[in-house]
Amino acid sequence: MAKKYRFIGKPAPRKDAVEIVTGHAKFVGDIKQHGLLWGKVLRSPHPHANIKNIDTSKAARLPGVRAVLTHHDVPKWKAGVPPHLPMLDSKVRFVGDAVALVAAETEEIAAEACNLIDVEYEQLPAVYDVEEAIKPDAPQLYEQFPGNILPRGLPFFGPELLQEVIMGDVDQGFQEAEIISEGTYAFENIPNPLPYEPPGAIASWDGPDTLNVWVSGQGAYLDRLSVYYTLGRKIKVNAYGGPCGGSYGSKGMSLPVVLYSAILARVTGRPVRVCLSKEEHLNTFALRLGSRIHGRVGMKKDGTITAISGDWLINTGYYSSATQGMVAVGCGEVQLALRCNNWDLRPKVICTNRCASGIVRGFGGQELKCALLPIVTEAMEKLDIDPFEFFKKNYIRPGDGYYWRDSNWYVYRGAEYSKAMDKGAEAFRWSKKWRGWLKPTSVDGSKRRGVGVGVHGNGDTGEDTSEAYVRLDPDGTATIYSSICEHGTGQRSCLCKMVAEVLQLPLEHINITDSDTRISPYEFGPAGSRGTYAIGSAAIAAAEDAKQKLFALSAHALNAKPEDLETEDGMLFIRGNPENRIQWRRGMGVDSTVLGFGRFEADFTLPNFMMTFVEVEVDTETGKVDLLRVVSATDVGQIIDPYMLENQLNGCLGSAGIDSALIEESVLDTNTGRLLTANMVDYKWRTFAELPEMQNVILETPFPSHRFGAIGIGEIATAPGPSAVLMAVSNAIGTRLHSYPITPDKVLAALGKIRGGDEK
Amino acid sequence: MKSFQHVSVPTIEGAISTLKDYKGKAKVIAGGTDILSVLKDRILPEYPQALINIKTLSGLDYIREDKDGLKIGALARLSTIADNPVVNNKYRALAKAAKTVANPQIRNMGTIGGNLAQDTRCWYYRYPHQLGGRIMCLRKGNGPCAAVKGDNRYHAIMEAKKCFAVCPSDTAVALVALEATVKIRGPQGERTVLVSAFYQPLGNDLKDNEILTEIQVPEPPASARQEYIKFALRKPVDFGIVSVAAVIKVTDGVCHESSIALGGVASAPLRATAAEQAAKGKVINETTANSAAEASVAGARPLSKNSYKVEIVKTLVKRVLLSGDSE
Repeated sequence: MAKKYRFIGKPAPRKDAVEIVTGHAKFVGDIKQHGLLWGKVLRSPHPHANIKNIDTSKAARLPGVRAVLTHHDVPKWKAGVPPHLPMLDSKVRFVGDAVALVAAETEEIAAEACNLIDVEYEQLPAVYDVEEAIKPDAPQLYEQFPGNILPRGLPFFGPELLQEVIMGDVDQGFQEAEIISEGTYAFENIPNPLPYEPPGAIASWDGPDTLNVWVSGQGAYLDRLSVYYTLGRKIKVNAYGGPCGGSYGSKGMSLPVVLYSAILARVTGRPVRVCLSKEEHLNTFALRLGSRIHGRVGMKKDGTITAISGDWLINTGYYSSATQGMVAVGCGEVQLALRCNNWDLRPKVICTNRCASGIVRGFGGQELKCALLPIVTEAMEKLDIDPFEFFKKNYIRPGDGYYWRDSNWYVYRGAEYSKAMDKGAEAFRWSKKWRGWLKPTSVDGSKRRGVGVGVHGNGDTGEDTSEAYVRLDPDGTATIYSSICEHGTGQRSCLCKMVAEVLQLPLEHINITDSDTRISPYEFGPAGSRGTYAIGSAAIAAAEDAKQKLFALSAHALNAKPEDLETEDGMLFIRGNPENRIQWRRGMGVDSTVLGFGRFEADFTLPNFMMTFVEVEVDTETGKVDLLRVVSATDVGQIIDPYMLENQLNGCLGSAGIDSALIEESVLDTNTGRLLTANMVDYKWRTFAELPEMQNVILETPFPSHRFGAIGIGEIATAPGPSAVLMAVSNAIGTRLHSYPITPDKVLAALGKIRGGDEK
Repeated sequence: MKSFQHVSVPTIEGAISTLKDYKGKAKVIAGGTDILSVLKDRILPEYPQALINIKTLSGLDYIREDKDGLKIGALARLSTIADNPVVNNKYRALAKAAKTVANPQIRNMGTIGGNLAQDTRCWYYRYPHQLGGRIMCLRKGNGPCAAVKGDNRYHAIMEAKKCFAVCPSDTAVALVALEATVKIRGPQGERTVLVSAFYQPLGNDLKDNEILTEIQVPEPPASARQEYIKFALRKPVDFGIVSVAAVIKVTDGVCHESSIALGGVASAPLRATAAEQAAKGKVINETTANSAAEASVAGARPLSKNSYKVEIVKTLVKRVLLSGDSE
């Protein structure tokens, strides 16, 4: 299918490849500004405490210190949903919470000044477990949230946010069931998405009413909007985004880091940079949600799900940046994978005294599935149903409907995914490897192999709004005006390919502006796999608009009607007569530019799909689990760039993905409230030396999206994997595991070799 | 990171006298793969005024063999040791252990002296100061051990009393099995100490102004099998959760003598003498290997979250006894 295109579907080097590999790309840490100061944060030693007294006098006297701020000195700017987290408060809510801010001439002086601040605390009891936190006598994090339960809603996603899945009649559904499984599973190891570049921002002020922020993020508009609203909608915010060293969703918004630099810049009258250290990034920024379910699933022998009910307890840590939105999307996504008429799934978002859970790819859905699917598989086990056949039967098909995040009902109008499932199973040799529930695929001495499969889909491929301009210059070049940041996926280069295809211009003649809210129109940014369809549609529409305007301007020069014109390589000609061609400048004139505009509005009717097959080997004498093989199967409609797509799918392991079933884990010490995994030795991150065998099965059945028939997939590459690994290990050792990550102690305990381990 | 003076010295004597001049306010830097992270995270209450650079000091990176055995200068790089033909031929347990350290970059920078003298990896001990303050404990001078009631999955299962941190060094485990000694130079002259005695419950045997200068390994029996098996979650980067080194002399299937050392179980690599006894004079098979494995953990007293380490010790002891001499 790719052959009808000149650029689409063919590999092309990334536009920014040379500047990145030669070190010329300017990340937030590389930006130089006149008078730039460094900001640092003094962080709390206690998980929960009132600040009785702070003495900053010694810090303020240190040469080179330009500002020391405490909760007494800062405006009442509040982050969170709803706004609840003061940027500095008289109370601290986790170990690492901000106590004071310092700006100084160097990073070292700022750090030293933090050490000179004396703080007197009144310690309060802390709570870490969701079920403890909602008990009547539990410590309360916020006065306004009794029971530590956050209110519903995320205004940005609309007035009626989906906050539960309730439909049909579950009582009747359970009566119709031939088997009911019930249990508790948890995905609570709070892995860290951990992009390579830690979060960071620079802020400066132009007078009292205009704030400029440079942020390592996905798209400048979300930084602009989040800061604008937090600052009370009174300040003009210009946001700039450069290259971004990875995000995985987590840098979609970088509050409160941006707020720290903003207030320090305001007080000092100079630009201030706040970049988190790797240690701060590990322990104070954004972890995955904690997810625990007490659930119940009814099923018939043919794999029909008759009812699903459950209490879904979501641990958001000390504040919610967008957790209610993640719950909404998770609730939508679960319906895509599990066809069922009777639902009663009730989430609760609960805050506890640990580092916040933030936005992470998988966005609620991965967390929900990791806990819910194992209960579903218990029913499959009792009925001896092959999980692959089950997922194939129950994944959404064209014409099926679902509630999405705005609580509206949508009907899927894309391609049938069963062909991709079959191709994936064939590539994995599922039918040969699957031996039944809790049965190993093979046994060799102490080594036992097992297989598992998981599924996921997201209706956000067309979420939210995108706008773009495309400007044509008489020299035969085009510029895309978009505020999308390059956060590692290659999406900016893919936009260039789409525009190149529309305009039939060589890729070298297409440029894209830096992410800058002063220059480019509104853009939500790349999230939820929306880059290909949503952002792509805006850029395509802008290019088409520009092309029509070019034709209108140039028709007279060729003595033709605009609708009869074609363009290629910066030349214009009458359709069917390409030999007789003129350059753009002869058509439009050297003294003009042409500006096209494109806008895309949300479309939730094209959910994507990913099925992940895994094979593991368990050493039953040590409890060690090795991931041997991963096959990812999907249908993307049309590949835009094969290498970039492969890289997206190969990204399924890290960034709190499949490896959150095996090694990735933030370890919380519940005696002290400290996260113990504060370095890259103790935070277990797979290295390139231990990659499993990986294969991606990618189908291209055209989707009714935009002119290239493509939809995005990248965001969900991680999501089906963890529950598949849990299934595979359980099958390998012949007994079920209930929590992540599957560490040696849990395996040995499940095998009865030691006590403890996998606690439900 | 907070700045410090960096003082290069031409000789080991110069290093010792410079250390003395700083009156306890200086530390030695060789490969720097450990000390720099200790300083960067400011895990210790005292921050040195100076680092005494010995890595450019010449003549202390030798690997040579004489009639007494192998002698390795403290500045020999781990990668050099791992690649050295003599070490690979006669002191294989050490070569194998050196090969398992971290990753190529670390092995190219890290020295054997530094690998032996590195600080513990206890995650309470290593907690970064910038995230709410370092965690004090007895090893830092004063304080309770947070691991006892906390998350002690990587902590000691044997012999520990007040501090449950374990010795992180891979090469130390092999050197204990090889019955090696280290040479230490200080203001009072030179002394040697067994590697097994170099580690103490709260640190190592280096006194003020002393520097580890040489490792001496007696020649093991030529026909002995040598092993080093390391269990970690990740092959690269990780320190061992448990490791076992062994020198085993087996003739006609019968174990005549063996030296088995356990890593990751205590503040020092421990000789598994009960296991050695259990294997001695026995035909090595599944049964005798199992009984030696059981004997190796007879004294284990795991904490709340590390009883799995006992199982892994048993598995590794069994495997070193039963395996062929693998590369």
